[in-house]
Amino acid sequence: MAEIELIGVSKAFKDGTLAVNDLNLFIPDGKILALVGPSGCGKTTALRMIAGLEDLTSGTIRIGSDVVNDLDPGARDIAMVFQNYALYPHMTAYQNMALSLRIRKVPKAEMHRRVHKAAEILRLEELLKKRPREMSGGQRQRVAMGRAIVREPKAFLMDEPLSNLDAKLRVQMRSEILRIQQELGTTTVYVTHDQTEAMTLGDQAAVMRLGVLQQVDTPQELYRNPANLFVAGFMGSPGMNMVEARLQRTDDDLVVEFGSHRLVVGEALKAADSVRAFVGRSVIVGIRPEHISDASVETSAPQGSRLRVPIELREEMGSEILLHFTVDAPPVLNEDIKEIHADKEPDVLEALEEQLESRRSVFVARVDPESRSRVGDMAELVVDTTRLYLFDPATGRALGTEARAAVHVTN
Amino acid sequence: MTKPRRRVLGRSRKREERSAYLFIAPWIAGFLLFWLAPMAISVVLSLMDWDLLSTPKWIGLQNYAELFFNDRTFWVSVGVTLKYIVLSVPLYLVTGLLLSLLLNLKIRGITVFRTILFIPSILSGVAVAVLWVAMLNPDTGAVNDVLRQIGISSPPRWLQDPSWAVPSIVLVGLWGIGGGAIIYLSGLQNIGAQLYEAARIDGAGAFQRFRFVTLPMLTPTLLFVLLTSLIDAFQVFDTAYVLGGSQGGVGDSLRFYLINLYNAGFVGGRFGYASAMAWILVLAAAAVILIIFRTSGRWVYYEYDPESER
Amino acid sequence: MSVATAKPRPDADGAGRNRAYPLATLIRRRGKRAVLKGAAYVILLALSAFVLLPVAWMLTAALKPDLVSVFTVTPQWLPTDHWDWVNFRRALFDTLPFARYTFNTLVIAGGNILGTLISCSLVAYGFARLRFRGSGPLFYVLIVTMLIPWQALMVPQFLMFFKIGWYGTILPLIAPAFGGTAFYIFLIRQYMRTIPRELDEAALVDGLNRWQIFWRIVLPLSTPVLTVCAVFTFIYNWNNLLGPLIYLNNDSQFTIPIGLANLVTRAGTPWNLLMAANLLSIIPPVVIYFVVQRKLIGGIASVGLKG
Ligand SMILES: Nc1ncnc2c1ncn2[C@@H]1O[C@H](COP(=O)(O)OP(=O)(O)O)[C@@H](O)[C@H]1O
Ligand SMILES: [Mg+2]
Repeated sequence: MAEIELIGVSKAFKDGTLAVNDLNLFIPDGKILALVGPSGCGKTTALRMIAGLEDLTSGTIRIGSDVVNDLDPGARDIAMVFQNYALYPHMTAYQNMALSLRIRKVPKAEMHRRVHKAAEILRLEELLKKRPREMSGGQRQRVAMGRAIVREPKAFLMDEPLSNLDAKLRVQMRSEILRIQQELGTTTVYVTHDQTEAMTLGDQAAVMRLGVLQQVDTPQELYRNPANLFVAGFMGSPGMNMVEARLQRTDDDLVVEFGSHRLVVGEALKAADSVRAFVGRSVIVGIRPEHISDASVETSAPQGSRLRVPIELREEMGSEILLHFTVDAPPVLNEDIKEIHADKEPDVLEALEEQLESRRSVFVARVDPESRSRVGDMAELVVDTTRLYLFDPATGRALGTEARAAVHVTN
Repeated sequence: MTKPRRRVLGRSRKREERSAYLFIAPWIAGFLLFWLAPMAISVVLSLMDWDLLSTPKWIGLQNYAELFFNDRTFWVSVGVTLKYIVLSVPLYLVTGLLLSLLLNLKIRGITVFRTILFIPSILSGVAVAVLWVAMLNPDTGAVNDVLRQIGISSPPRWLQDPSWAVPSIVLVGLWGIGGGAIIYLSGLQNIGAQLYEAARIDGAGAFQRFRFVTLPMLTPTLLFVLLTSLIDAFQVFDTAYVLGGSQGGVGDSLRFYLINLYNAGFVGGRFGYASAMAWILVLAAAAVILIIFRTSGRWVYYEYDPESER
Repeated sequence: MSVATAKPRPDADGAGRNRAYPLATLIRRRGKRAVLKGAAYVILLALSAFVLLPVAWMLTAALKPDLVSVFTVTPQWLPTDHWDWVNFRRALFDTLPFARYTFNTLVIAGGNILGTLISCSLVAYGFARLRFRGSGPLFYVLIVTMLIPWQALMVPQFLMFFKIGWYGTILPLIAPAFGGTAFYIFLIRQYMRTIPRELDEAALVDGLNRWQIFWRIVLPLSTPVLTVCAVFTFIYNWNNLLGPLIYLNNDSQFTIPIGLANLVTRAGTPWNLLMAANLLSIIPPVVIYFVVQRKLIGGIASVGLKG
């Protein structure tokens, strides 16, 4: 068991692709870090460099007290779970798990004990004599995990280990991985493009974009206090609503104006220097769906937090309702947003482009199931303006982050 | 901050490289010993007069000069080989293709036919030749027996008739045409069904589908078969040796290039001379291959290959 | 001509009718297909007869008593009174030494299979999986040697082996196999490249070195292509005439092809025994062919594709 540290790690492939750019990470001993980002952002490359499967172009990687830059993968005492498992097809589950121990000349009895213990943890004792082709996807996944566990390595490296499973199995294996990781207390780097997985699995999550680390923090903090537009847009589902607005001072208040709407910025944000610097300029306003509620339920809300908007779609989710409504201002469609949606939902981009053309955006509100708003209604919605997010349109940098940290504490 | 772009190989890459050279070492050794060294020796040898026992004598280009201007049997062997190439290569190309079309039909029992027709191509040239030398015996052989029974009173005397000798070998080769057909067959089976469906929808009949889908898609296979059958045709030995003996058959009618070379070197002991002949063979073969490759761009259609080289 | 009737009739009388083809056309189409199919079977049967009858004829020739076939002016398709099965034993042991020729051929083929499998799989792995400077040009050289016929180099090779005293031994016929054969290296490399690279990487992480990855992972997974190479090597050596003809000078070392060729080219050929020997000689390749047929054709197909 050991901590892992990446210091200024970069990787440029021969074709010139800068897949990882000056990456700094620290994973404390026994913790699990989720490395998350849209596909192509360099997660796998970063993980492979930790594993030793890819040379570093520059930088240093430390596992425990050793700098491992020049060590072969086998000498780094790490175990890896591959996206498509990479089980040896000609070996049984037992042989797959035992191979690394045989190579290391672990005594037979000890080998036997460790394989069976791993099999027990993963509940695959029945499968030990089977070959990969005779197993289901979930079973192969377990064997791949088992192969990592028997090693009792310093660290687990997992590259989207659940992405080839169906949705239900994925949720189940997710909690299983978490359980095992906590039971063994092995330092783990967990790569995923799925922000939900990162939220639920990581002690910490690191968000990457185009090879560059955007932010590292606990998943809750990433969600609550994103450092920039990209992180804000990437974390959360449904994603943050965003629109370009003007930040104005009226009387004693700061307001954001977009289309025919205006919202009064909450006290804490208002006080932040970085926010005040933008008065009279345009900003990007972000509102999380759960911070919008139905005025018929939330009757006491002040005027500067209300939106009168037409409801386009009503999705019953049981414990909540998703209301889709339009706002008469163009949506944000910059490089960050394109990057977020590029791989998973190409039609989202198309929809955004359409909205850009018609200069209206579709927002989503996550409201109380009591809400009576129907499709076609002009609904009165209330925004929790203390939870507004503001971003610099030019750089995407979040404004007033210092204030939000304070809110977080006082809450 | 700015690091030099080109780094020397990392230590693990160096290890990888070292083990790579170990892995390919057998071939490197084999290449040096069994290809490069003989090639170098061969060049030098072709400029010498040497019978293995006496001391070798440097004679410059005399071997080549003798071959070109002073050796009737050399030109005979060239003629026999060319005659064989002209007769056999186009014939095998077309019949192999036709047979593969037949074997590609989706009818019951087709795999049995494929198996049967493939058998001759795995038999040795010697075994086949031994069989056919008996079959083609003009008096007692089965072939002429059949011919006489269907009313041909004086059938060809095959190997004993110089003008029939090379055609005889061509016909014997036809017996093994199933081998070539199998290669076409795999080419045919790699043509996507949806291409045919698209052609059908465009209203193409059976012949048009062959002309506009099958044939173009099969051109890489045709190129491959053309090249290999040409290279093989340059090197006929076993069959000719059995059917015509080491001296090249009746009236030199089966004095193929390699038979002649074998005679000059291993029977006549003129190793320098034989080396010169070998070089002429290599250069001729290389020229033909090169010409075919150069012109193949015009008629070979390659499908997009997603697997690109490193 | 009634071309028009072959076309689908305009659907005048409403829905519910078969829109595709009138019945007559369907029948005509079926009929045409049946005729074509019948013709295909006739041709295939004729071709099969063309292939199989000579083999059958060889069998009858092998069973005839001595000298008969040579003197009968009209050849017999069936041996009338004699079915001399003993001819096979005579060809192998008593009159002709084909048992020894067979043994010699097997030794040479076995040595070549061993050498080929060892060297070609090693080299193929190097080219398929490892990164090293010069791999591109070296592989190109390998491809080029594939195009140079061995026969072009047989004279200097002979001199080299002669000089080191290997003339008259089977060593020159076996040693080159341990230097690898370009064609098989190419074949195995292509196959190894289809094995997922993650397996190598998983093995690296598991602590295997390159040799262990080759031996424990890649080689076991390459058995199909290795089988193909072994079979090709066997058949090539089983059939090879020129090599043994050049290097072997003693009847006790001769191989089957030399034995057969010598019998044909000398006077007074015992045709019945020759046919018996010949028939026996084609059994191993045919049997092997049947055993590994599918893999073999797959292997040939891959050659045809990548060539
Ligand atoms: N071997 C390689 N050669 C060149 N470019 C590569 C190679 N591997 C990955 N890349 C590129 O590097 C970037 C990051 O890839 P990767 O680490 O696989 O992303 P992720 O795992 O986040 O999806 C991508 O643009 C990808 O195309
Ligand atoms: Mg990836």
